[in-house]
This record gives sequence, structure tokens and C-alpha cells, in this order.
Amino acid sequence: MSSFLKKEASVLDRYVEFKHIDKFFPGVHALNDISFSAKSGLVYAFLGENGAGKSTLLKILNGDYQPDNGEFSIDGKPCHYSSPKDAIEDGVSVIYQERQVILEMTVAENVFLGQWPCKRGGKVDFDLMNAKTYEIAKRFGLEINPDEKVSNLSIAHQQMVEIMKAVNRNARVFAFDEPTASLSDKEIEILFNIIRQLQAEDKVIFYVSHRMDEISQIAQKVVVFKDGSLVGLVDCDQVTDDDLIRMMVGRPLGAVFADLSRNETIGDIVLDVRHLSTAKVDDISFQVRKGEILGFSGLVGSGRTEIMLALFGLDPVLGGEIFLERKRIQPQSPAQAIALGLAMVPEDRKIQGILPNISVKGNISISVLKRFLKMLGRIDYSKEDQIAREAIEKFDIKTPDAEKLISQLSGGNQQKTILARWLETDPKVLILDEPTKGIDVGAKSEFYRIICECAKLGMAVIVISSELPEIIGLCDRIIVVREGSISGEVLRKDATEENVLKYAMIDQENIEGEIKKL
Amino acid sequence: MNRTLMEKIKKSDFSDKISLIIALIVLVFVFSFFNKNYFSSRNLINILVACSLMGFVAIGETKLIIANLIDLSAGSVAAFAGVFCAVLMQMGVNPFLALLLGVASGCFVGLLNAVLINHLKLQPFIATLAMMSIVRGFAYIICNGRAVPITNKTFISFGTWRLFGWIPLPVIILILAFLIFGFILKSTFFGRSVYVMGGNPYAARLSGLNPEMITLKLYLITGGLSALAGALLAARMNSGQPTASVGLEFDAVTAAILGGAAFTGGVGTLLGTFIGMLILQGFNTGLIMLNVQIFWQNVAQGCLLVVALAFDYLRKKDRTKKLLEESKRTIKS
Repeated sequence: MSSFLKKEASVLDRYVEFKHIDKFFPGVHALNDISFSAKSGLVYAFLGENGAGKSTLLKILNGDYQPDNGEFSIDGKPCHYSSPKDAIEDGVSVIYQERQVILEMTVAENVFLGQWPCKRGGKVDFDLMNAKTYEIAKRFGLEINPDEKVSNLSIAHQQMVEIMKAVNRNARVFAFDEPTASLSDKEIEILFNIIRQLQAEDKVIFYVSHRMDEISQIAQKVVVFKDGSLVGLVDCDQVTDDDLIRMMVGRPLGAVFADLSRNETIGDIVLDVRHLSTAKVDDISFQVRKGEILGFSGLVGSGRTEIMLALFGLDPVLGGEIFLERKRIQPQSPAQAIALGLAMVPEDRKIQGILPNISVKGNISISVLKRFLKMLGRIDYSKEDQIAREAIEKFDIKTPDAEKLISQLSGGNQQKTILARWLETDPKVLILDEPTKGIDVGAKSEFYRIICECAKLGMAVIVISSELPEIIGLCDRIIVVREGSISGEVLRKDATEENVLKYAMIDQENIEGEIKKL
Repeated sequence: MNRTLMEKIKKSDFSDKISLIIALIVLVFVFSFFNKNYFSSRNLINILVACSLMGFVAIGETKLIIANLIDLSAGSVAAFAGVFCAVLMQMGVNPFLALLLGVASGCFVGLLNAVLINHLKLQPFIATLAMMSIVRGFAYIICNGRAVPITNKTFISFGTWRLFGWIPLPVIILILAFLIFGFILKSTFFGRSVYVMGGNPYAARLSGLNPEMITLKLYLITGGLSALAGALLAARMNSGQPTASVGLEFDAVTAAILGGAAFTGGVGTLLGTFIGMLILQGFNTGLIMLNVQIFWQNVAQGCLLVVALAFDYLRKKDRTKKLLEESKRTIKS
């Protein structure tokens, strides 16, 4: 294996070529005739909405999925992997956002995972392992002790261990799947240096991310995906961010928001939160009015979601007061919060939202089923049917019939089903946590329309979102949360990405402090 | 309602269970071929009597499995309840009161199971494993390890009295229990919440349900039913035996799984479990009638489970494949 690789290293133009790759899932054409080739020594960024096909292509590359049509080749040799193991042995390494390291093992053991060198007699050769690991770390300028337990490392360094593992296996193709999602700026810089080093070593590199600024920093080529098709392979320095967005989305996002029919009459205060504190957030005060759309922005982990968990009776309230229509409320459980007129569409659809083994109908009716029970506690099936039928029509949920399992619908339709579930309860306050995460652009604009409708109907709507254009385009007012406290408030007319971000970012001194802690 | 009868049948539980029902018919046919007495009402009653014990527990286990829970202590509870009733009778307690207290003891164990799971956050498997051992221990302790004879005629009649001199009381109670709990599971809010909880407990909580309360109710039901089964067994055997019904919970789980309940939660019906139970016991009784050595029953039970699940897997795989082909066609056109 290793001698084979040495020979390969002298060949100049290495490349990966995808030829007419097709991949189907039930109800979805996940990849549609993807063809392109990637040369070594360049970084190819994959850009596209969630569900556009980036991750599916990576999973085909690493042998997790097999293409239904077409094939790909590395250095001209066709690859037919039946499992990730085949891909790894053939020199393809994918570094995932969720690190695949074993926390209770040392750095060196992880780097050699599954291929621990043995001395005669079967004893693992720790000295050799540590020495080689030290060598790799030095090559990339990393200060990582091979003997250290991985659980003691920072998240960024755990990711570096993952990369070292791939390097140690003499990988010739590296793919990074949203590697920076949980890294700080400083850590991202370390990662980029490593990627540049890999580039200098003439590897083929794929990089999946939807952060534009990162892509312009690290990539030379951008591969743009939309709805499973490849819409363009462009040189990074010849296009602007706007061009890329237009390719990705089909039209500039601004137009979507300009077309929205907004609610102009904002009424009295519905929800009044005063000095709310929990274990995660501190001294939170804000108000939402009838018919208003209030945005919550801030970095992931800033405490945005935790505020809503407290309102919804999921996190215990340690201090402060909550008033709903001037009456003080203290919901102790979601059941109580719902009874009071609150509704929350949670952040993680898969974990917190859908009831996977239940039909679309059951998923919609569960929130209101208790209201129309017949004698002996029987469920009123005809009423349930009616509710489901109406909701499917109203929200244009694409399903063959109401009996279909929700897990068989697409993400956007699942999300609409969950929203329908909550709107059935006729809430006074509607809380939406990342309502458009992982759904395609068409469904997104439909969602914005529904949210505006809710505001028009007089609900007080709270939207949490990480996507700045979305929150700026949609909300009447934006509250920015930073490290568990409210750091600023921006009105719709003043809102720009810059001034929202300004409140959201941690100040410079804090960053230095964080780095010292690492 | 403009649904036709055909559609109604198609959507009913029976269509889901079609392969099970066919299996049951084939089984009856094959055994009848070898032994003329197999397909007789007398033998059917015998089969039902033989599985009445397991049947009560299977009702409880099915609901628990649907909610992604399990109860390993059911067999111990049954044994304890039998001995407990016998001991109470020896002390001169009224037989009806003794039966009631026996069932209550089962509910109490159910309560403890739920407390361990809800408040100490033990895994259901582990919590009930511990209770299995503890309760079995107490079954031995209250009788000093020796079977307690029952002489009270009324109590014995609980296990032996026959309607029209034909259908034994435990079978009647069992069928009633299946009907009542089947109704609860299928048509009530509580039943629906059991399915919801098994699919996704956190989402259930966010939807305004109370998973802790559902867990408690389910364990109370299972405990009570297990204890009832144990008491009826004691009545039939004229004694409370601390060694009784070892492994009963596993037979019950086997019946539930055969009947289509999924260990991942959210899926299963009592109709399925009922048929699963008949297949299991029908097989065992059939083997006995063919004079097959009794140990082969164990082998047969295991094989049945493997074959049923393998069949289920292949059917599902086929369905996914068809779905995929279908979407390929529709997307292309």
C-alpha cells in the first residue's frame, strides 16, 4: 500500500473525476447528473443550501452511499466503494463536523485508530506510535502531546487529531464537512493553516461550508449546488458573494422579503418578560406586542434558545417575572405553557419536533386532541380527519394523504406539519426556533409568508434565527443576545448585518481570554 | 363518510396483520394434518388456558414496548402475587380481598419501577432488572421458600370455574382484558400518547404531554396485570409457588414482537400481540400433541422469533425498494 502511494506521489496531476452521478432517495432526486473534476493542489469549496446535495456527494465519495448511476474515479482509476472502510483504505478521508475521535484514548492511539502497530508477540508499539504522531504534529506546527488523552484537548485540537489521523493514513483526498461550525476564529485560522499545508503537499481537497467569508479565504474553486444539481464550477476570485448567492438560490434573497405582505397594525403588549434569569441566561427583559414579529439573533450557544425554554416551562426560572396579557404566569411544564396560549416550534426538528412513527394526521392533531374527546375518552376520528385535512390544504403540505408517516415527507413539509400542529392551538404567542433550518428556498419563502399571516392574525411572533438576512428581512424588531444577556436591540428600519453582528460578537478582550483558557 | 367498506378494511389493523394471520392458519392446518384433535374447540380452549398467564403480561409488555419501555419484573411479580394471595388466605382473609390485595401488590411494584425510572433516571431495563431480583426474593421470603397450599374453594374457583361448564374464567378475563386495553390503546387519548412517547419522548413533552405520568400509568397497569395473572395461576394450581413463572416476561415480549411490536418503540397493536400469542402457544401445544420432546419448545420459540423478524425485515426492505423505484420513475417523467 505505502509503496504504491510513493509511486503515485511523483505523478503530477492527480485528480478526482465525477461522471454523471445520480442518487435517489424515496421522494427525492438527491443528486442529479453531477459531473466535474477536481485537481490536486487546489481547494474546492462545495456551496449550496441544506439539502442541495453537498453532503450526499461527500457520502458517495467516502463509500457510505453508492451512486445509482454514474461513477467517480481517482487519478483515472474508477472507484467502487461498498463502505467507508474501502474509501479510507483507498486514501479518501472525510473530516466531519462531529468529530469521530475516541475521547478516552490518547492522541497517538486515535491517530493510529484501528491500525495500531504491533511488536512481535502482539504488544502494541506505543513508542513508535508516539514518535510518528509527534512527527506529524510537528509537520503541521501543532503543539499536541501524543500521550495526552483526547478528552483533555480543546474541540479544535480534537479536530486536528482527526486530520492527523487522515494524514497518517497517507490519504490523497481530503474532504472537510463544515469543519468550522464549532470553532472560534483563532481555531479556524489554525485549521486553515493545516489545509494550506495539505494543499502544498498536493492533495485533492474538498471543503463544505456555507460561510461565504471562509470560502473566499481558503478556496480557489467553488462548486455550487442547487436542488441536487451542479449549477456552476467557478474560480473563487472571479465571482462576488452576490453572484454565488444568486447561483445558489436562483434569485437574490432580498426580493423574497420585499414581496412579503407585512402586518402594519401592531397592538398592545402581549408578553412582558422582566429580569428573567435561569442557569443559562441572566436578567432578560423584553416585550412583544400583538401582531409583531420579534427576532432573536446571536451566536449559537449565546442563550437565545434557553430564554424560550424558560418561557415554555422547560428550564427552571431562578428569578424575574413573566406576564402574559398583564397576568403573571409561571409555566412549570410545556403542557401548562400550551394551556396558557404559548406555542413553540423547536429548533431541532428531528429530535424535538416530529413524532416519527405517527402519521401526518396524528402529528397535527396531537396538540389539540384532548379538546374533542367523546364519551369514554374516545378520540373523535371524524373531527381529527377534518382538522388534518384542513391543515394540509391551508399550509399546502405535500403528502399523498393524511395517513402517511411524517418521516417520509421532505424536511420543509415536516416543518410545515409541525407548524400546523402549533397553530391549531390558536396561540397568543408563537415562538419559532430556527424555523427554516434545513429546508429549501422555495419552502422558506412560503414559511415567511405563513409567519407574516400569523402576525396579521394577531399573534405575537418570536423568531430565533442564525441567518442574518432572514432575521433582518422578516422581523419588526431584533433583540441580540450575547453570552446569556441581551446586548442590544435593533429596529427594522436600522437593521443591517453589520450592526446586528456588532452586538452579537464577543469583544476582543474576551476572545483573548478564551484563547488563554484553551 | 364516503369511505367504502374495502377501504375501511384496507386501513384496519387486519390488513397489517395479514401475514401473521396466514401464518396462524398455516400452523393450524399443518398440526391438524398430523393430529385430528388439534383443530377442536376443546383444544383451542386448552391453548387459551395455557397462554392466559402469558397473555396478561403480554398486554402490559406490548404497551410498554410501544412506549419504548420494558418490564423484566413481570414474572417475579406474578410469582409474588400468587404466594402473597396464598399466604393471605392462610391468614383467613376473604378470597376477594386477597385477590384485590394481590393485584395491588403488583401495582405497587409498578409504582416502584416508575419511580426508579422517572426520578432516579434509571434505564427501564436496569430498573426492572433490579426489581425482578428483589421481588423474586420477597416471594421466597414470605413463604420461607416453600409452596403455600390454597384450600379456599372460592379462590380456587377463580382459576377453574367454567362458563357454561366450558370456557374457564381466566380465559374470559383475558379476552375482556384484551378488548378493554385494545380499546384504550387504539381509541383514547392515553393510548395515542403511548405511541407518541415511544416515537419521540422529548417531542411528546414539548407537545404538552407528560411522559412521566404515562410511564407511571403503564407500569401500574403492567404490574397489576402481572399480579392478576399470578393470582389466577395460583388459584388454578391450588397453591402459591415462589418458583412459578420464571421467564414469563420474556415469553410475553416474544408474543408482542411476533405480533409486530417494534423494540424501537412507537409501533405495535394488541391485536397483533393476541395473534402472536396464539401462534406461540399453538406451536408449543402442537409440538406436545405430536409427542415431541418438551425441550424442543424452547428451540421452536427462538426459531419462530428469528423467522418472524427476518421475514418482517425482508418485507420492509422490499417496500423501501419499491418506494425508491417509484420515486425514480415519477421524478424522471
